Amino acid sequence: MKKDEIKNLLVMSILAGKIMLRNGAETYRVEDTIIRICKSRNIQYVETFVTPTGIFLSVEHEDKLFSYIKRIKSISIDLHKISEVNNFSRKFVNSDMSISEGMKILESIDTIPTFKSIVRYIFGGVAGGFFTLMFQGSFLDFIASFITSFTLLILLDYIKKIPITFFLSNIIGSIFITLFSIALFKLGIGNDINKIIIGSLMPLVPGVVITNAIRDFISGDFLSGTSRAIEGIIIALAIAFGVGIILRLGI
Amino acid sequence: MFYIKQFIYGFLSTMGFSIIFNTSRESISKSSLNGAIGWIIYIVLTDTLDSSVIAAFFGALSVGILGELFARFFKKPATIFIIPGIVPLVPGSGMYYTMLAITEKRFIEAADLGSETLFIAASIASALIVSISIGKLLRTSNFKKLNKKKKNF
Repeated sequence: MKKDEIKNLLVMSILAGKIMLRNGAETYRVEDTIIRICKSRNIQYVETFVTPTGIFLSVEHEDKLFSYIKRIKSISIDLHKISEVNNFSRKFVNSDMSISEGMKILESIDTIPTFKSIVRYIFGGVAGGFFTLMFQGSFLDFIASFITSFTLLILLDYIKKIPITFFLSNIIGSIFITLFSIALFKLGIGNDINKIIIGSLMPLVPGVVITNAIRDFISGDFLSGTSRAIEGIIIALAIAFGVGIILRLGI
Repeated sequence: MFYIKQFIYGFLSTMGFSIIFNTSRESISKSSLNGAIGWIIYIVLTDTLDSSVIAAFFGALSVGILGELFARFFKKPATIFIIPGIVPLVPGSGMYYTMLAITEKRFIEAADLGSETLFIAASIASALIVSISIGKLLRTSNFKKLNKKKKNF
């Protein structure tokens, strides 16, 4: 293998790792994918270190050392992309696919959205609405919570485009939910204000982060596990803070 | 009838979450089923045992183990099935009622509710730990079998 090819392989495996990590994969899976992709092309020594905020990869081939560091900034959740990259790495390892071809496939995985945003908004409303019903809310509560979650997801998509911290965006989200639910309640839609707010809060709750934190702890990635757990706690605090402010004001 | 309704609500709610998290189309029904089963176990156990902490433990355990089984069966990462399924169990309501009690200056009640919320979160975490460890055990034992087969050839 020539130097150029090694470099391309490095860039490709980092891209695969970046897509997985950015869309909410566990540390162990990212490391495993990168090592498998590199080892499949006869590289003797591969070592990688992944944290939620960056990927470090170094490779030795014919007495030359190559290393690559990639900083990961924003994390969003897209489970479909994780499983697509997972399938891709299986295919790449078991075939003689060229590296440029692999790059093309990865780039197409990265750019294609899984669902249209309107579908996501509607089902976000469904998630929040049925959660209210799970807590024995009435049909009017369901409607109120559906509308609140629906608009919450539109708001969150809008906020994503502005560079503010995740702490602030969670506070804004929970303040919005509380205000909007109270407004709907005052208009006569809904019987129990608490159940409406709880149902609409669920799309914000940090379930993914906490699950991944525990998976990281189990596979021995304590650094990643700790940082994800702290992220989860901060998100939970932000939500509680936002709800608390509005309830305290007693509007 | 009540439990059937709860099962349907749980199914649809988890379906909503799996679409928010962009699960692929063919996995949506499986992860929704997983979440609904976890939720119904949680509801039944809360009613019979009168302890939401233990109920959350067994609910999350079933979500975790079923997720690992689905992952092995359909050759997909286990997180796809576990993440949407675990969300309904997360104690968002406990968090909210704690905050409500704090804002209304009912501090003793807040401590009560807050500690219960923390315990539910901890029991979900420990259930996930148990199920993931079982999943790992299954994976490594399968590897050994494969290696043995290779040696025989």
